Amino acid sequence: MNKEEYLKKLDKLLKKLPEEDREDLILDYEEHFGIGLENGRTEEEISEALGDPENVAKQIKADYMVKKAEDKPSPGSIIEAVLAVAGLGLFNLIFVAGPSLLLAVVIISLVVAGFAVIIIGILTMLSPLLQIFFPKYIHLPVQGGILGTLIMIVGGIGVTIMGTFFVIVMAYAANKFYKVVIKLLKSNIDDIKERTEVFK
Amino acid sequence: MNAQFKKGVLELCVLVLLDRKDCYGYEMVDEISKNISISEGTIYPLLRRLKKEGLVSSYLKESQDGPPRKYYQITEQGKEKKENLVVEWNEFSAAVNDLLILKTENGWLNE
Repeated sequence: MNKEEYLKKLDKLLKKLPEEDREDLILDYEEHFGIGLENGRTEEEISEALGDPENVAKQIKADYMVKKAEDKPSPGSIIEAVLAVAGLGLFNLIFVAGPSLLLAVVIISLVVAGFAVIIIGILTMLSPLLQIFFPKYIHLPVQGGILGTLIMIVGGIGVTIMGTFFVIVMAYAANKFYKVVIKLLKSNIDDIKERTEVFK
Repeated sequence: MNAQFKKGVLELCVLVLLDRKDCYGYEMVDEISKNISISEGTIYPLLRRLKKEGLVSSYLKESQDGPPRKYYQITEQGKEKKENLVVEWNEFSAAVNDLLILKTENGWLNE
């Protein structure tokens, strides 16, 4: 591979990184080629010594994604980090990515369920009002009167509070899960990275 | 050799070199690969990590031949880290050496 091919390939592989970081890295490698050429090596020799751009890019991406997940934990950033780390080797795809992705999916669905409960609560609260406008579509289990309306409103508030409480508990749990997953990812990155690629 | 161990060694090498003088990436690779065979491309991700952890900083400096080069400089925090790693390394290698000498005295290696 010559210099241009190597840098192009690396740049393409790093396109998920922010522009600034990517340019900075490419400049590092460009400098490396430049100095190597001055020292009388050929572009092919330098590419060979640098190592496969795929490996280099995978390490950079995994490092970057985990850092991002650590700084801004969210289901999306965690999944990205897991996938980036999984890209480093099959072993991790099975033993880290599998459980972590499952965990992420469970957390997402529980949070969604919590929000659904909140919406149900709000709708219940508003149901006496809605019934006035859409009598054909809304049938209240408790019929009529001030008492019935009151029951729906209080019940609705109760369900809303329950849902909110649920979402808060899930957010707290998610935070804990994130930390565990990130720790797992970090130890795995260190392992794989050093096992095969740093030393020849 | 286990993974954590190797990782620490490369980090130690980089910090020791930078403690002596500011270097650019190629210089460090050159210096380290005189003694240890490394995959050269991995030094830059390592340097980025060290920079993010605040152990080194970088600046651009004009060179006589060609474009300016990115020099790396060790920070106070980096120096502290280096000292710790050196102590760890010395303890470790001393322990291994003790073991080897013990074995020789007992004739295990001379059989």
